[in-house]
Amino acid sequence: MNTAKRLIPLIGASIALMVLFRILVPGFLNPENLVDLVQQISVNAIIAFGMTFCILIGGIDLSVGAVLAVVGTTAVYVLGYGEAETQSLFRFFLAVGAGLTVAVLFGAFNGVCAARTKMPPFIITLATMMVARGAALRFNQGRPISIPAHETLFLGLGNGRIAGVLPVPVLIMLVILIISAVLLHRTRFGQHLYGIGGNREAARFTGIAVGRAEITVYILCALFTGIAGIIATSQLYSAEPASGAGFELNAIAAAVVGGTSFTGGIGSIPGTFIGAIIIGTLDKGLNQAGVHFSYQYILKGLVILAAVYFDVRRKR
Amino acid sequence: MNIAPEKSSAPMLVLEGITKRFGGVTALDRVCFDLCPGEIHALLGENGAGKSTLIKVLGGIHQADEGAVLFEGASVDVNGVTAADRLGVRIIHQELSLAPNMTVAENIFLGREPHAFGFMRHRAMADAARQLVERLGLHEIRDVRKSVSNLSVAHRQLVEIARALATRARILVLDEPTSALSDAETAALFTTLRRLRAQGVGIIYISHRLEEIMQLADRITVLRDGRTVGTRPVSEVDQRELVRWMVGRDVVDYFHRPPHVAGPIALQVTGLSNDRVHEVSLTLHEGEVLGIAGLVGSGRTELARALFGIDPVRKGEIALAGETVDIHSPREALRAGMVLIPEDRQGQGLVMIQTVAFNLALPWVREWNPGCRPDLSRRHSIIQRAIEGFAIKVANAEQPITGLSGGNQQKVLVSRWMEHRPRVLILDEPTRGVDVGAREEMFRLLGGLVREGMAVVLISSDLNEVLNMSHRVAVYRDGRILKTLDAADTGMEEIMTLLTGVKTA
Repeated sequence: MNTAKRLIPLIGASIALMVLFRILVPGFLNPENLVDLVQQISVNAIIAFGMTFCILIGGIDLSVGAVLAVVGTTAVYVLGYGEAETQSLFRFFLAVGAGLTVAVLFGAFNGVCAARTKMPPFIITLATMMVARGAALRFNQGRPISIPAHETLFLGLGNGRIAGVLPVPVLIMLVILIISAVLLHRTRFGQHLYGIGGNREAARFTGIAVGRAEITVYILCALFTGIAGIIATSQLYSAEPASGAGFELNAIAAAVVGGTSFTGGIGSIPGTFIGAIIIGTLDKGLNQAGVHFSYQYILKGLVILAAVYFDVRRKR
Repeated sequence: MNIAPEKSSAPMLVLEGITKRFGGVTALDRVCFDLCPGEIHALLGENGAGKSTLIKVLGGIHQADEGAVLFEGASVDVNGVTAADRLGVRIIHQELSLAPNMTVAENIFLGREPHAFGFMRHRAMADAARQLVERLGLHEIRDVRKSVSNLSVAHRQLVEIARALATRARILVLDEPTSALSDAETAALFTTLRRLRAQGVGIIYISHRLEEIMQLADRITVLRDGRTVGTRPVSEVDQRELVRWMVGRDVVDYFHRPPHVAGPIALQVTGLSNDRVHEVSLTLHEGEVLGIAGLVGSGRTELARALFGIDPVRKGEIALAGETVDIHSPREALRAGMVLIPEDRQGQGLVMIQTVAFNLALPWVREWNPGCRPDLSRRHSIIQRAIEGFAIKVANAEQPITGLSGGNQQKVLVSRWMEHRPRVLILDEPTRGVDVGAREEMFRLLGGLVREGMAVVLISSDLNEVLNMSHRVAVYRDGRILKTLDAADTGMEEIMTLLTGVKTA
């Protein structure tokens, strides 16, 4: 109820952006272009959902971009191990499983550090970001590892379309959107997160297992990042140890534009989704309008600033 | 209805017919108030009576919709905090606003630091702070290089006062300054305030504590439901009349101590020790209220924290209903049937950015939300029962908790556990910032629960409260129980003697 009301200006802003780009780029609102747009925001949106959980409890996860790279390289390394000539279902699941396991391990480490020590999450995840980046660069001497062309299942995760229309990444993103939204807005776990973010002490005093919830949040965020990492790798047709740089900032931007408060306790999954749409629309629209990428950065920065400014003002 | 007092001098400040509306709610309705130089004028009223709003109008935080503010006879427009500041109005709010990581001197001069070309002049600042503190007679904070985090709440308050008076202050407003102070500290504060009065400062003093006001104030103005009920010189009123003014009816006795029918043992603590608690042993029966009387800083809160599993326990045993329990976290304490209502209501109890309903339902999430389908009707009925059971005054359950008065916020904190049927309820300073009416109601409801067999540990610095609500009183000092007395056989004097360690022959 409250959440829905807060979303209205965001939806308005995203529609306004789309109309603006429709004027600048004639074909911007064509169905094909829109599907393309949603496909492009999928990776960022999935990470941003996880990031929303972290920020909501007053934390942050800076390691997502680097974890994304290490997930990709791990998965492709396992996939290509032994230089098989044909695709095997077993190896596909092994590769995806290995990638996600690595992600979960990083998430668990972040979470345990955040919950059980007094180190601030910003510093913990800054450190794991470096560790993860280094780990990714260990593979193949830091050079990209390409995905063999016969691995159609793996490649399909990033590039396939269901019934020739719905891109697989979009489907995955929508599933995670629903899971996250239900988790945050419909379960006691979600309610606990709002409690923890709103007042950590009070949450602890009411018997909420704050540490356990915090660890879960960082694992969730990393798991989502892992899924995003598999998709991103598949989309690139190769694992790039240097990929994912700056993804954490894009995810934070989506969450924050979507109304997530940095002090914790305020935010929603639908909000973050719209935030991701706004960021993605800007990226794609400016690109198609032929704006030089240097200006793109400047404009994006200003839009984020404006969005947060209005959000903060509205909260008073 | 205003009765003009005899004035020694013309009032420096007159508030005339102040009306303030928030949406459809009239918070202040033609309120009149005046203040003379060198006077302590108490502003009295229940929470929600409009005291804070009136102070905020004076401080320029709110603008009055109607009415005039006259300062030394001239009408002024207090349209902002800076305007109030220029007039010399200094407000010390209930929640202290010091930077704990900085020193006394740094806090006093925060924002006005003496500097040369932007470089701090630390020595000049310390000297100026020391002079100021001496001039005001605040000897307790003479050591101006001490970090505020090392000061007691009482001394922090003195730092606030020093900061307020560092620049030319004409009017000092104190909002519930003694709610966190022990009796001795209160007495010290009063000495300071009387000295300031002698220096010509006009003081507006807001409090719920009648005894205090009778001791300190020159005049009393009572607000009720946003209206001025009356103003009287303190020499002409009696307490009973004031209470009637405040609540609009006679309150004979707001304590409702249930009869002492001690059932089986509910809580047995043996030799509980950690860094701040030393060898505490106590026994609490079902249907019994055990008061813990101790001064601020005696380690009472630390005892509660140790019992509730917040601070680690080094030694000792806790048994609930005869069963020894191992408690390492609030979670385990709750599971064992203990509930703690913490002292710091907003910091440790409530989620202030959320609604009343959210806060009421926070411990109940498991009940109304078993899986993915929230049982909203269950949630609603839990919330409704809490609101009705404790007569919480809310417009609707989805309103922000910040809109509730201190008393009602406290009721939210207590009521949300009641369906839990706690075996042992620990109340740490439950009436801090809670007005007489809400206090009375809360004690009446608690009395009923005790009658049904709940055991209560009542920690309070208000001796009157401890003595009148408890069946037995444990006198607590320096982390130890000195003596446990039968509340019926003891008096304030005996407890105070034990607490302060003054030996009587």
